[in-house]
Amino acid sequence: MITLPDNLKRPFADHLLAVADDKLMLGHRNSDWTGLAPILEEDIAFSSLAQDEMAHAQALYQLIAGLIGTSADALAFGRESEAFRCAAIVEAPDEFDWATAICRQFYCDHFDRLRLRRLARSSYKPLADLANRLAAEEQIHVEHVDSWIQRLGRGTDESRQRMQRSLDALAAIAPSLFEPIEHEHELVAADVYPRAEKDMFETWRNELEQIANDSSLKLDLHPPSPQAIGGRRGKHTEHLAPLLEEMCEVYRLEPNAAW
Amino acid sequence: MSGSANVGVHVDHARDEDPAKLAEFEARITAGELLEPDDWMPQAYRQGMLKMAEHHANSEIIGALPEGEWITRAPSLRRKLALTAKVQDEVGHGQMLYRVSQDLGKSRDQMLRDLITGKTKYHNVFNYPAPTWGDIAMIQWLIDGAAILNQKTLADGAYGPYVRTMKRINMEEAFHFKSGEDMVLTLMSGTKTQRQMGQEAFDRWWYPALMFFGPPDKPHAEQLPPMRWRMKTVTNDDLRRRFINRFAPAAIDLGLKIHVVKKDDNGMVIEKKPDENLRLDETTGNWSFTQPDWDEFYRVIRGNGPCNAKRLALRRFSYEQGRWVRHAILRGNAGLPPAA
Repeated sequence: MITLPDNLKRPFADHLLAVADDKLMLGHRNSDWTGLAPILEEDIAFSSLAQDEMAHAQALYQLIAGLIGTSADALAFGRESEAFRCAAIVEAPDEFDWATAICRQFYCDHFDRLRLRRLARSSYKPLADLANRLAAEEQIHVEHVDSWIQRLGRGTDESRQRMQRSLDALAAIAPSLFEPIEHEHELVAADVYPRAEKDMFETWRNELEQIANDSSLKLDLHPPSPQAIGGRRGKHTEHLAPLLEEMCEVYRLEPNAAW
Repeated sequence: MSGSANVGVHVDHARDEDPAKLAEFEARITAGELLEPDDWMPQAYRQGMLKMAEHHANSEIIGALPEGEWITRAPSLRRKLALTAKVQDEVGHGQMLYRVSQDLGKSRDQMLRDLITGKTKYHNVFNYPAPTWGDIAMIQWLIDGAAILNQKTLADGAYGPYVRTMKRINMEEAFHFKSGEDMVLTLMSGTKTQRQMGQEAFDRWWYPALMFFGPPDKPHAEQLPPMRWRMKTVTNDDLRRRFINRFAPAAIDLGLKIHVVKKDDNGMVIEKKPDENLRLDETTGNWSFTQPDWDEFYRVIRGNGPCNAKRLALRRFSYEQGRWVRHAILRGNAGLPPAA
C-alpha cells in the first residue's frame, strides 16, 4: 500500500467525492420511492437498492473524511452546493415517473459498476478493498435494472414508448457522468486513481446498447465534450439546490448537535 | 407498525352454519389449535379474518406514508438509512399481510382499489400529521411501541397464517422500537431546540397512541366472537392499560411532560395543561390517566381527521402512476430477467 502524498490528498478526495456524491444523490432520489413504487415487491427491492447507494456513499465519505479531517455527515449535509461533485444525471428529479427512475438507474448503475471495478485496482488499498466490495453489490443493481429495461421495453406499446421517451430525455445528461475531474492525470500517474483499462465511455455505451437493443429500445449517446464544465467542478443543474435544501432541512437546525 | 385493534370486527357467529361443524371448530379454538386456510371455518370467521388482515395490510402501506415523507429530510446518514429501512419494513409487512388476505379470497388489486376509493379502512392513527423530525421519533417510539403490545397478543390468535405473520412482523417491530427509543433519547438529551421539538411532538402523539387500541370495549367483550374465536385475545382497555403502565413512567424518565391537549383541525396543539389525573396507584401498580376525546376518535375514523384526504390522495396517486407498469408486467410479452 502506498502512502498518499499531501499534495494529492485534496484532488484524490475530489475524485472520491464524485463517486460518493453520485451515490448519495441517486440513493436519495430512489429512497423517496419507498412506499410508492408501482408494485409492493418492487417497492421493497428498489428501496434496498437505494439503501445500498446511500450506504456506499457513507462508506466513501468515511474514507474521504479520514483523508481531509472531517466527518461523513458533515460531508453529506454540511457542504454548499458548489462543493458537491455529482453529475447532472443523478440530480435529475423523476416526479414519481417509474420510466424516468428506471432509465436514470440504468445509465448510472452500468457506469458505477465500471467505475468501481476501475477503483478496485487502486494502489491505495483502503479504496481498492472498498471498491471491490461495492462492485459486488453494484452487479446486483445492474442485473435488476436490466431486467426492468427488458420487461418494460418488451411489455406493452405504452410501456415501450414511455421507456423510449425517458431514455431519450436522459441521454443528453447521462454522459455527464464522464465529465473529467481536475488533476486526474496526477492521480493516475501516482496510480491511486487507476487508469481505465479501455475507453470507459465506449464500454459503457456498448453495454447499454446491448440491453436496449434486446429490449426493443434505441439509444443515442454521445461522448461528453472534454471541455465540459458541470457537476464534477461544482457547476450544478437547477435541481441540486432544492434537493439539498430538503435533505439538509433538519441537519441545519442544529448543525453541531447529534440527531 | 400498525395493528388491527380498532378495526371493529362485527361477526354474526351463528349464521346458517352446521351446528356439529361449528362445535368442532370452537373446540379446536378452545384447545389452542391453529386454523389453516383450507380448514373448515364459519363464513363469518373467514370474512372477519379477511377484514382484519386486509385492514392491517392497508394500515401498513398507509403507515409508510407519514414516515416516508421524512426519508429525504433525515438529519444524518445513519438515520436516513435506518428510516428508509424502517419504512421498507412496513411495506414488507403490507406485502405479507396482503398475501394472507389473498389466501382468504380477495385479489390484491381489488384490495388496493377498495383502499383508494375509501371502501375499506386503515388504522386511524395515520390520519394525524407529522410536521417535524420529532414526530418521526415519537411515531417510532410510541406508535410502534403500541403496535408491538397489540401485535404480540394477536400472535396468540387462532388463524395460522396471520399468527405466523405477526410473529415475523413483531421481530422487525422490535428493531423499529429500539430505533425510536434511541431517536427520542437523542432528542431529549440534546439542545433546547431539540428537547422542545421532542416535547411538542410528544404532545401531538400521546393521545393518538392511547386511542391506538380502539374505543372502550363493549360489555362482555370476552364472550363476543372476535375474542371467543381468538381473532383477538386481549381487550382494548386492557391493552391501553398495559401501554400507559409502561410508557407513562418511561416518558417521565426522559424528561417529557404528559399533557391533556386541545388540537385544531390540522391536528396541531392549541392548548395544553398537565394531566392532573395521571398518577400511579401503588396498590394495583396501574397508572390512572385522562381518557382520550372519543368524539375526536369517531370524527377522525369517519374521514374527518387532519390527514385522511392527504394520505388517501397519495396512495391513489401511487396506484394510478404505477398502473401502466403493472399492465406491462401482467399483460405484455415480458421475458424473464437475464441470467446472472
